[in-house]
Amino acid sequence: MRGTAYYCTVEELQKRGRDDIPEQFRSNTHLIYSSPATLAFNSPGAEGFGVKRAGLAIPDSIMLIVAPGCCGRNTSMISSMPQYEDRFFYLTMDETDIVTGRHLKKVPKAVQEICDSLAKKPSVVMICITCVDALLGTDMERICRKSEEKTGLPVRPCYMYALTREGRKPPMVHVRQSLYSLLEPKKKKGNVVNLLGFFSPLMDDCELYGMLEKAGVKTVHEISRCKSYEEYHTMAEANFNLVLHPEARFAAEDFHEKLQIPFIELRRLYQIDKITKQYQALGKVLGIPFEDKEAERTALDAVERLKAAKPDAIFAIGECMNGDPFELALALVKYGFQVAEIYGTLTAENFVYLKHLSELSPQTKVFSNMEPTMIYYDHKESGVTTTIGKDACYYHPDAENVMWNEEVQPYGYAGVKHLCEKLLEV
Amino acid sequence: MKGLRKYLTPFAPDQSGAVSVLYELGGMLVICDAGGCTGNVCGFDEPRWFETRSAVFSAGLRDMDAILGRDDRLVAKLVDAAEKLDVTFAAVIGTPVPAVIGTDYRALERMLAKKTELPVLTVNTDGMELYDRGEEKAYLALFGRFAGENVDVEPGNIEKTQTAESCDGKRNGKNEDVSVDIEDRPRVGIIGMTPQDVSDLKAAEKIRKLYADQGLRAVCYGMGDGLEEVKKASLTVKNVVVSPAALKAAQYLQKKSGTPYEIAYPLAPELVPEMDYRGKKILIVQQQVIANAMRKEIEKRTGEKEEITTATWFMRKEEILADLRVSAADDISLKEEDDFISLVEKDGYDVIFADPCMERMIPEFEGIFIPLTHFAVSGKLNV
Repeated sequence: MRGTAYYCTVEELQKRGRDDIPEQFRSNTHLIYSSPATLAFNSPGAEGFGVKRAGLAIPDSIMLIVAPGCCGRNTSMISSMPQYEDRFFYLTMDETDIVTGRHLKKVPKAVQEICDSLAKKPSVVMICITCVDALLGTDMERICRKSEEKTGLPVRPCYMYALTREGRKPPMVHVRQSLYSLLEPKKKKGNVVNLLGFFSPLMDDCELYGMLEKAGVKTVHEISRCKSYEEYHTMAEANFNLVLHPEARFAAEDFHEKLQIPFIELRRLYQIDKITKQYQALGKVLGIPFEDKEAERTALDAVERLKAAKPDAIFAIGECMNGDPFELALALVKYGFQVAEIYGTLTAENFVYLKHLSELSPQTKVFSNMEPTMIYYDHKESGVTTTIGKDACYYHPDAENVMWNEEVQPYGYAGVKHLCEKLLEV
Repeated sequence: MKGLRKYLTPFAPDQSGAVSVLYELGGMLVICDAGGCTGNVCGFDEPRWFETRSAVFSAGLRDMDAILGRDDRLVAKLVDAAEKLDVTFAAVIGTPVPAVIGTDYRALERMLAKKTELPVLTVNTDGMELYDRGEEKAYLALFGRFAGENVDVEPGNIEKTQTAESCDGKRNGKNEDVSVDIEDRPRVGIIGMTPQDVSDLKAAEKIRKLYADQGLRAVCYGMGDGLEEVKKASLTVKNVVVSPAALKAAQYLQKKSGTPYEIAYPLAPELVPEMDYRGKKILIVQQQVIANAMRKEIEKRTGEKEEITTATWFMRKEEILADLRVSAADDISLKEEDDFISLVEKDGYDVIFADPCMERMIPEFEGIFIPLTHFAVSGKLNV
């Protein structure tokens, strides 16, 4: 219907099942609506940790973006941040470059010229290429080797291929592989663990650090906490990796294959009972008790306080935040809150949560942020009082909002506690 | 090295320019990309996007769409969206992906015309040219498709005998009566007003006021004035070209409807701060019309011909120089970062007007650097 945003209730979606997801929720069947809500999702370099920022996670690295001018345009937003000043460079392509591929011959020389112009030699040069080179079939590994020969510095490719966003290896998966590809085998240390998945650290008070320490782990590495290139290299000493984001799975497999470091994958959850179960399962794998009753109690208390303060809160939950909107919706419903609306990208994996949601809150509406009729979304009849996520805030400008998209990553009981505290503040 | 940027991020590309022209006209803008280009346009190059909801879409191309050239899928998606949305036209805007696979925009237009009654424009931008090329293409597509449509008054019935010089708000030697209803006042078309070019979201409002004070009605195409005004383009008594990208469209309208045009930027005085410019060697870096309008403003203030060089990273038109009576030697084109750096080192300017992001390129410069924001360069607006 014209003038109305399309949605399905959780019940309807559950009834249709994972093999019959409506077209409106499948992004390859319609034009992608661009609203501030979907910017980060739709564009692999636009906001937050896109490919460009992620590619510079290695300390003292620089990036050369080899692409048509349009691909590097919004980088000035990032380069205006102090930590990225003088770290982005560009080799712009024209039509002749595309036809002849001559730009590739210029890359090693350009890398040399940039390195010569810098007061301090970079630790690594990341070469970022885009959709055009994806279509041209550019062998960027070879160009990187040539550049390494010329400069004597490590040079790695970084693929910002928006075209492959829904493929087997989307850009954010690839960039994680590139980042860890410089690590060389080192002697293992039994008390060292890497946390893979995020480009910024977990909250300082996340219970995971303490639990690992109790389990005998002396050093926990996160790429974002590495102060130097040398420290980054010590990630190769880890005994095992904990994968906290599914996009780091391929990188973890590389670790396993190349450095013989195994990995265990954990999810970010907001259901306290599931967090406990996940830690228990991890404990079983490690052969040690893995629990933090105090952190669990603190999280439960925070939920209780929120319930006491806002018993009638009606939530709308978006996907532009640190969490899975369907899982978070389920958690809030289980805690006794109402969730009126979810804005999310529905995949087969989400049906685990939809199944439970359909039993507890069947009338919750699910919208696809990217569907064209979202231009007509109207919040007036929704009854929503509180929103979580940047997109949800955009749709409900007058409601209480917690963006929950900060760079420091919430995780585990600490994540639940801080979210409740934020919700109490608004 | 040609194409290497060490200081400046790439400038606004042609697809951003095309979107800028069409943005406020009530159409459905479909950027023919995989998502990244739309992110660049919306999240960076279109400052109006943050203020209101707009029908900007990404075609959401995937690798197999590009490899197999599945234009039929794009057509189906666009037709589906057209059925669901209240829009007045659809525009398909090109990016590097369709450029690489050689998308035939004319064919796409014909395919769409068969499937939908919505008027369809295509702009064959490729992300490798600069914003002004995209604007130029979009203006021509826009006026070519809509100007003169649904106009009750025949162009010949309205007064069209004025020259550009005579239409300055004084007809028959008298100021226009400003009490006349705004709708009934003679219309002056302003072409080339986009945030990319004028770097000021309030510029259209200021220009309207300026002309209203002269008893005229300024129609700022694409900045506050929509598609209905484009359709009535033949009713304007003259057009004012405020950026080089608009020149071809103005020439087209002159040929089609006999509407004269002049090249000027009416807000140039506010860009030139008060100071003594006499005898100073001055460099102004902007788009060509604004830069030369500022030259005229400075010379008007000093009453002398000053030693002023205008330079631009963008389109440079000989017609503009001829119209403004500026020597080609005083107006230069910049391509690479080194062009600007060596120009400043070599020519010893006393005063430089340029976007603030360029100041760090010339740390040795000891003269006066006056910030002159150009959105297409830095992505920043005048505040």
